[in-house]
Amino acid sequence: MGVIGYGLGVIGAAIGIGLAAYGATTSMARQPEVQGRLFTVFILASAFVEALALIGFVVTLMSA
Amino acid sequence: MDALSKLPDAMNELLDGFMSHAIVGDTTVGLTQYIFWMCVAIALLLIVMFVFKKKQAQSLVPQGFFVNGVEYVVEFARDDMCKSILGDTWKKHFPFIATLFFFILFNNIVGIIPGCHPGTGTIGVTAALALCSFVYFIAVGIKRKGVWGYIKSLAPEGLALPMRIMVWVIELFSTFLRLITLAVRLFCNMFAGHVVMGTFAILASLFFEPLLQGFSAAALGSAGASIFWVLILIVIYLVEILVAVIQAYVFTLLSAVYIQLVEQDE
Repeated sequence: MGVIGYGLGVIGAAIGIGLAAYGATTSMARQPEVQGRLFTVFILASAFVEALALIGFVVTLMSA
Repeated sequence: MDALSKLPDAMNELLDGFMSHAIVGDTTVGLTQYIFWMCVAIALLLIVMFVFKKKQAQSLVPQGFFVNGVEYVVEFARDDMCKSILGDTWKKHFPFIATLFFFILFNNIVGIIPGCHPGTGTIGVTAALALCSFVYFIAVGIKRKGVWGYIKSLAPEGLALPMRIMVWVIELFSTFLRLITLAVRLFCNMFAGHVVMGTFAILASLFFEPLLQGFSAAALGSAGASIFWVLILIVIYLVEILVAVIQAYVFTLLSAVYIQLVEQDE
């Protein structure tokens, strides 16, 4: 049951990282010269989103 | 499928292997396998750095793959993490940031060698690292603004008083959340990655087992499936190498951003 809940929770994080990657790739295509800075921002943003999914992972393991 | 029915037992064994087990003493006072591999990583880091220093001093121009490689990584830490985030104050914080980066990087890299454990794969080590980073940026903030000044600076100036108190509470909460997310992110990435790798390795061995017991068409088919699992294992292994570097990068980058947040505002 907990695993199903984790799967549901990850949908949100997946959408979040997907949106971040979408924004990063489209703006890189428009302005290739900001690639270096954008990569940093993208990694930062996905790290924040990812943390939520990972907290879910730990909670799942703890309650199982 | 017969092989799949054995998976839960093998998984339990795998997860048990990932828990901290004492090699010397017990888990309160002693050496667990994670701490052992952390010491290995530290020893490796010391050797690499001292050999690098010695070789670098031999000639004015960096020569050879080793010296150039290490210089490249150090420059990456300096330019991409320190200079681009911290701006003018980078020199003050570079030792701390570089130490964090190399410590985590070496731990992660030691962890992906088969048979080794990453030092960062246990919550104790990552929590200690996160605490270092947390104490560091709070100390920087207190040094710059004083205790009261730092506490006040959590909420931005120029808001109405009730609003300011609300923002202050939220900011205080998010400051302590940084401590948790820093620790949990690194731990989970290393732990989850190794559990996934271990699962596919177990699947590969379970599907190969029938062929060892006797030659038959079904056994051959299941051995074919085992090749498929090994292929996935190789892909996940490559992803893990990437994750090891990126997680070291993310942890250090976030520490730099937190330091910058207390350094920047006037």
